Amino acid sequence: MVATPVLRVRRLSKTFPGQRALVDVDIDVEPGEIRALVGQNGCGKSTLIKILAGFHEPDAGSEVMVADRPLSFGDPVSSDAAGLRFVHQDLGLVAALDTVDNLALGHGYETGRLGLIRWRQERAGARTAVRDLGYDFDISRPVGALAASERTAVAVARALSRHATPPRVLVLDEPTANLPAAEAQRLFALVRSVRDAGVAVIFVSHHLDEVFGLCDTVSVLRDGALVTTRPTAGLDEADLVELMIGRKLAQYDVPPADAAHQGEVALDVRTLETTALRGVDLTVHSGEVVGIAGLTGSGREELALALFGGCARGGVVAVAGTTVPQLRPDLAMRYGMGLVPAERHANAAFLEADLQENVVVASPTAFSRRGVLRRGSERSDVARWLDRLNVAPADTERAMSTLSGGNQQKVVLARWLRREPRVLVLDEPTQGVDIGAKAEIHALVDRAAADGAAVVVVSTDHDELARLCGRVLVLAGGRVVDELHRADLHADRITAAAVGHTLRSAS
Amino acid sequence: MTTEAAQPTNAAGVAGTAVTAGVTAAGPDPQPGAVSRRLPRPKFGLDRFSGLYVWLLIIIVFGSWLPDTFLRSDNFQIIAGDQAITAMLALGLIVPLAAGVFDLSCAATLGFAVAVVTWLLQQGVNPVLAVLLAIGSGAFIGLINGLVVVRLNVDSFIATLGMSSILAAAAYWVTDGEQIVNTASKTFLDAGSTRLWGISLPFYYMVLLAVILYVVIDHTPVGRYLYAAGGNPQAARLAGLRVARITWGALIVSATIAALTGVILAAKLGSASQDVGPPYLLPAFSAVFLGSTQIKAGRMNVLGTLVAIYLLATGVKGLQLAGSPSYVNNLFNGLALIIAVALAARTHRRR
Repeated sequence: MVATPVLRVRRLSKTFPGQRALVDVDIDVEPGEIRALVGQNGCGKSTLIKILAGFHEPDAGSEVMVADRPLSFGDPVSSDAAGLRFVHQDLGLVAALDTVDNLALGHGYETGRLGLIRWRQERAGARTAVRDLGYDFDISRPVGALAASERTAVAVARALSRHATPPRVLVLDEPTANLPAAEAQRLFALVRSVRDAGVAVIFVSHHLDEVFGLCDTVSVLRDGALVTTRPTAGLDEADLVELMIGRKLAQYDVPPADAAHQGEVALDVRTLETTALRGVDLTVHSGEVVGIAGLTGSGREELALALFGGCARGGVVAVAGTTVPQLRPDLAMRYGMGLVPAERHANAAFLEADLQENVVVASPTAFSRRGVLRRGSERSDVARWLDRLNVAPADTERAMSTLSGGNQQKVVLARWLRREPRVLVLDEPTQGVDIGAKAEIHALVDRAAADGAAVVVVSTDHDELARLCGRVLVLAGGRVVDELHRADLHADRITAAAVGHTLRSAS
Repeated sequence: MTTEAAQPTNAAGVAGTAVTAGVTAAGPDPQPGAVSRRLPRPKFGLDRFSGLYVWLLIIIVFGSWLPDTFLRSDNFQIIAGDQAITAMLALGLIVPLAAGVFDLSCAATLGFAVAVVTWLLQQGVNPVLAVLLAIGSGAFIGLINGLVVVRLNVDSFIATLGMSSILAAAAYWVTDGEQIVNTASKTFLDAGSTRLWGISLPFYYMVLLAVILYVVIDHTPVGRYLYAAGGNPQAARLAGLRVARITWGALIVSATIAALTGVILAAKLGSASQDVGPPYLLPAFSAVFLGSTQIKAGRMNVLGTLVAIYLLATGVKGLQLAGSPSYVNNLFNGLALIIAVALAARTHRRR
């Protein structure tokens, strides 16, 4: 460790009104190092990254040096000029544009003498950039039509592409949040090749296995302060979790998901078909938690929406014996189904609205008398739910947008648990959620099942499926290709089933 | 439903969060027991109620500048009565804008209703029937708007812009391009011009409409449906709300209220020509957008809209009494709208 740090952060503090988001953080990152940055939601990670990216200005006295030159704060252009490059969680790509255009969003177009774009050079450059990262896909397709890992590659290519200065530090903010395991492996190979080129990488992730599998060192933030920076070698997951949350993680009871506890059939699905699903049968009993696994493109992404009526479907979906017509979420709901959809911001959250409205939106008349709302009793009921789900802060009048991801997800859960659904469908229920909230959400799912709900969990997090489910169906090519039961429910086994079948059907 | 090109909630959304955030003093994830919790900053409501303060300021400034002409009760009575028509149109417009759809045809609908009711009365149709037919034509216009937006998937901005033009043609056709004068029904004219406590009756109709809309939007689930559909249509759909139906209904409501407003305007004017409607469009939109920075900031709301209307009207009246030329009216309205929404957006960015 004699190399000089390419990024040197000293006494970095940031105070928001009423809250210190970062307190005297010191971090050094060396060239050719992959540094994990971990911590619970709200620990200050995003604030740190936003300061580096120039979106926030830190408090006076803070100092950031990039390659021995001070970074001027609050200006994305000078961050970029200093060689700091970012791939944000949502990637920041324009889905309707192709790879060439998306790359040009970063560095501008190559133009000829008349100011016309030199398309041939642009395309050649994009093709090389993508190939350098070990990918080979059609750069003229809209990026919205690419696989998730390919989109990530486009974002990385853009971050690394030619600017006035070479890239020195690449910051990846939860790049695997939407990637299935196999595609995440491709991304890791990419990250290693970036590191080997001498770029320092800062890797933000909630997945601790990624931290250990990929990163050389790890910095832990808690409550805005740096807890420690250490090599990952010599740490184990339990140690790291303890560093992140400041205490040992309570072990929740493993669900009693054996056949003896099952009630009658609550959800009966026959030959479910969508653009990606090719005839899926599924039966879930009350009190049962059934998992759905599968790689991107296996039809997994569409299953939850199709069940609830959020996208067009064929086949029969029946809740407690009543057939639900397609494209009618209102009826699915009336017959007792609830859906916590994936991609909270697009599909579930009303960010400008307060928590009370976010909770009651699915049962707006529960507390009205002769058509007039009784806000008082509604508020105390919502407050009780926020409390029960341990939402912080449990303030019914707070805007949804001010909560962290995990707390927003709990609010969405409260919306449905409050209706006591017969069938609860959860799509990526802990996406972008910190480890403490994740355990709490899992416990809530256990409890809902224990109270008699039939639960379907669709997830790319195979540890999560192993933790929650009594049974997991594995999808590939739009069909159920495997069914795993309690006895062989391990994350590795699920992953193997998902990947194995994909390979088999491809060959 | 609506594309990015026309999302009425966006503009107000920006303005809105601004203020909510200011009130709750929120960072991303405050730590429990943080100091700010125990020592809340005093709230003067400088953001949410800024309109009221400005209004007061305007009254004080013009009151001390022109004590003889401005500070007279009949002056305030005139302001109240004059703005009733714009206010009613703006109140109706809140409904679709809250639900995330534009209704650019509301002013044309108003103009069309003026023409229809006046023409019917001139033809000797029973006044009650004439009024019902005119209001019914408004509901029908809203129905067609909804059909085009929901079933044909045309962006509401375009659909209602087109409808606006069609209605202008229809109003011309009904009036034959001439001014038609209503001499048939005195009761009808009285309903538009009689004064009660010095203020003409349309003001009281407007107050009644405001009360009804306030109760419906703030105290029944309907308001929740509107704001949810406007805030995030996809999430609203996945929370079991029938967004298409909400959109459709909102367009019917705004067109019906616009037609009702037209009937009242017809009673007030006693005549109709093909061009009475369009001048009301911008003031109504301005009032709703400016109003969305007030009282319940970030949301199109009834009280905020009324504050906006009367704030602007008071300012304009004061300037007129001080001897400003007539174009000051438009100038003042435009500047006030842009400055107010820009200030709210600035607070939002600084968060």
